[in-house]
Amino acid sequence: MSTATVTPTKLWGGGKSPFNVEYGKLMMWYFLMSDAFTFGAFLISYGTIRFSTNGWPDPNEVFKSFPFAPEGVHAPLVFVSIMTFILIISSVTMVLAVHAGHNMDKKGVVKNLILTIVGGIAFLSCQAWEWNHLYHEGAWWGSNPFLNHDGTASSTNFTNYFFTITGFHGFHVFSGVVINIIMLIMTLMDKFEQRGHYLMIEKAGLYWHFVDLVWVFVFTCFYLI
Amino acid sequence: MSNEAVLHAHSDAAAHDAHGDHHHEHHHHETFISKYVFSQDHKMIAKQFLITGMFWAVLGGLMSVLFRLQLGYPDATFPWLEDILGKWAKGGRITPEAYYALVTTHGTVLVFFVLTAGLSGTFANFLIPLQIGARDMASPFMNMLSYWFFFAASIVMISSIFVETGPFSGGWTAYPPLSALGDASPGSKTGMDLWMISMALFVVSSLLGGLNYIATVLNMRTKGMSMTRLPLTIWALFFTAVLGVLSFPVLFSGFILLIFDRNFGTSFYLSDIFISGVGALPNEGGSAILYQHLFWFLGHPEVYIILLPAMGMVSEILSVNSRKPIFGYMAMIGSMFAIAVLAFLVWAHHMFVTGLNPFLGSIFVLLTLLIAVPSAIKVFNWLTTLWRGNIRFTPGMMFAIGFVSLFISGGLTGIWLGNSALDIHLHDTYFVIAHFHIVMGVASMFGMFAGIYHWFPKMYGRYLNNSMGYIHFWVTIAGAYLIFWPMHYEGLAGMPRRYYDYSIWESFKQFAELNRFISTVAMIVFAVQLLFLFNFFYSIFKGRKVTVQNPWNANTLEWTAPIRPGHGNWVGEIPEVHRWAYDYGKDGKEFIPQTTPVGADESHH
Amino acid sequence: MEHTVAHEEHSGGGTKEIVRVTVILSVLTIIELALGFWMIDMPLESSLRLAVKGAIIILMLAKAFYIVAYFMHLKHELKNMIMTIVVPLALFVWFITAFLYDGNSFRNLRNTYDPHFKEQSTIKVEKKAESKHGESKHEEAKPAAEKKAVE
Repeated sequence: MSTATVTPTKLWGGGKSPFNVEYGKLMMWYFLMSDAFTFGAFLISYGTIRFSTNGWPDPNEVFKSFPFAPEGVHAPLVFVSIMTFILIISSVTMVLAVHAGHNMDKKGVVKNLILTIVGGIAFLSCQAWEWNHLYHEGAWWGSNPFLNHDGTASSTNFTNYFFTITGFHGFHVFSGVVINIIMLIMTLMDKFEQRGHYLMIEKAGLYWHFVDLVWVFVFTCFYLI
Repeated sequence: MSNEAVLHAHSDAAAHDAHGDHHHEHHHHETFISKYVFSQDHKMIAKQFLITGMFWAVLGGLMSVLFRLQLGYPDATFPWLEDILGKWAKGGRITPEAYYALVTTHGTVLVFFVLTAGLSGTFANFLIPLQIGARDMASPFMNMLSYWFFFAASIVMISSIFVETGPFSGGWTAYPPLSALGDASPGSKTGMDLWMISMALFVVSSLLGGLNYIATVLNMRTKGMSMTRLPLTIWALFFTAVLGVLSFPVLFSGFILLIFDRNFGTSFYLSDIFISGVGALPNEGGSAILYQHLFWFLGHPEVYIILLPAMGMVSEILSVNSRKPIFGYMAMIGSMFAIAVLAFLVWAHHMFVTGLNPFLGSIFVLLTLLIAVPSAIKVFNWLTTLWRGNIRFTPGMMFAIGFVSLFISGGLTGIWLGNSALDIHLHDTYFVIAHFHIVMGVASMFGMFAGIYHWFPKMYGRYLNNSMGYIHFWVTIAGAYLIFWPMHYEGLAGMPRRYYDYSIWESFKQFAELNRFISTVAMIVFAVQLLFLFNFFYSIFKGRKVTVQNPWNANTLEWTAPIRPGHGNWVGEIPEVHRWAYDYGKDGKEFIPQTTPVGADESHH
Repeated sequence: MEHTVAHEEHSGGGTKEIVRVTVILSVLTIIELALGFWMIDMPLESSLRLAVKGAIIILMLAKAFYIVAYFMHLKHELKNMIMTIVVPLALFVWFITAFLYDGNSFRNLRNTYDPHFKEQSTIKVEKKAESKHGESKHEEAKPAAEKKAVE
């Protein structure tokens, strides 16, 4: 039986979910939508302030360093592209974990969850390094050592927004890692085997992908344009 | 999770507990705590929301009485005020700081705690499962958390009243720089921190609730209850939840930026500021207008979060008590949908005079005036539902009709205010106060009263006292108009809102008597609300008992449940639904409940 | 629980699809980065730079689509559910337009009526202010203004 053959009237007739999903997944989706508005509001505020300011720092001059590279190296976009790929790969392993869950493959779930957690921690470490580096350059909330593109003085809002939004995103990554660790423990304790399904992994997966999705936007808004 | 699964999960847990205690009980073992405090039963949570909301309504109303005292009698002193307010009313006269704190807290509390949590929190919890035929919410646990987050928000808000520098006093919209700089005013110090913590908790509460309502309405409807068979209450509460889930996060973001501005030296909202006694601030490059955009992106949908539940309940009550089907059921849904969409597109009409781009403003005017269309459709449908109906004037019905009246008179002034050119004259005057109090404040209170009078028998198995109900209604509606109608004239004469003392202004001296009149009526109306409060609590324990299952002869599912439904709502099977909720006066029958199968010779509606 | 009904048919394309989407996402990211590198030496106000920024935004949306549609499995849900999630996101169109338009207007307003604001954006800072955190935090916020005061 495929869902496509069920007529819409039957789906909406009550007594069952019209979307054929259980309530938790539905709630997770709508929670993510509301979270999208949180991030959306942040990024739009950032855009609004940028539009109402005459100059803006050049991201290639700000984010140009690399761990262990000599002082004064000019490598724009390199470090952040590594961060981006880490997050994409961890997203892929998460999909594989969800996929393994569908097939009731406990081993696959465990393996891919561990990889996802490692990816998440790697991303957080990268972010920690970058924050630390910027802090030592004098950047922090309320303090912006960078000049505008054209050499004029820049307002502190560049760093204000950078730290607030990447911080909020990092917080999401952190909670995603915590959720995934809980999922891993539950898997190892055979909780899902007992329940007969791995739906929780799927919901955790939705959250993790959302974190990746937000990074796509943060990455574009802060590092590229 | 399916309907049965909710209960099974629950009784499983209960069974586990029971076995753990070696009681060998098969029934849910309820202690006082699990039944009345940390209850997961949607009906109990609804009552918790209602009573907490009523507590806030009394407190918020009392605050309005206090500042009306100042506005009505600016020269008089009331020594008893000093007894209760202490240094906030030195010499028996409310100080300016206290006045602003009262105005701010009144606004915040009434908008968020009473008319959002108290209204949609109560009735979404109470009515959604009962009217769609569900055992409980999709996640009873999250539902409980929703209430307790609201409770925590309440505690923090109350504690802000008692801090030394007083509660926040920069207006309920909390515009920076007043809200962002602790040096700006006494209330901007600890009071503002607590205000913001309280509001953040409130946002969490409303998100938990809203997600639950949406998932429940979509997933948990009983067999046969298609979306187009839902009572309009459920549609309204559904749209309310959607509005909340999409708009509260934006406010939350705005608050986070505000927290950084307050505590961490950022300048998201701050630029070019000089405070006397402190000097010029180093903050550069921010925009206070940005906060207003973010605030009103929530703020405007918030108006409909407040209004839609009232609209839905009024639709239901009007139909039941007119003994007629609701006129234009699909048009009602369509116009609520239109209102829900437009709610997100019109926020900047609160900001016409802030320096908003005039061209952008003109688009906001257009979109704002479009709201008149669905609103007018709804009013038309309510009136045509009443038209030639066999009306039963129960107190609930009176309040429902009162709602329609208030919605019309308050809505019309909205058309004035929606024009950016007229707004230059009317902005921040008493005209605005009159407009939003009538259309949003009092009208939604009327919707709430209508709901309470109508569903009290279902909530507590007893009736409210009718005579007190009629007194409550007539005094309140007359009072509401007497309070707010004259304010239109004051506003047109240019009298600004939020001033402490109008008697020192040559232009506004003429309104001294009028202000005194308004204050007097406000006190009378407040006293009558206390009568309602007495009625409410008296009737819970001593009211006339409900003896029939369906006292109003209504069609909806909640009246097929036992008079005092237990957790799980229906004994045995959940009823199946065969028709929409509005078959009144059809084929010679007075009413046909939704559970009645469609007869072979029945006419189509 | 209805999980068995709910999920067997939902799994979609399987591992093959995951690999395909991974490749697409990587390629899109690499194109984005290439455009980013290309943009470094472009003049500030050139229309080409704007066009590249537009292209990056389109690529960003494409990436978002692939993540949501395939990784989050939205494409394999029922159409109604897709609509309940995609349609509200349309609100972002006006959300973004109005905010950015007004932000831009606010800048024009200040450039026209606030001479200090306008002047500040033309004074170049000669030397990069070497600031460490021990020093007063706000000084670097407006070196131009201070320079002016000294003069």
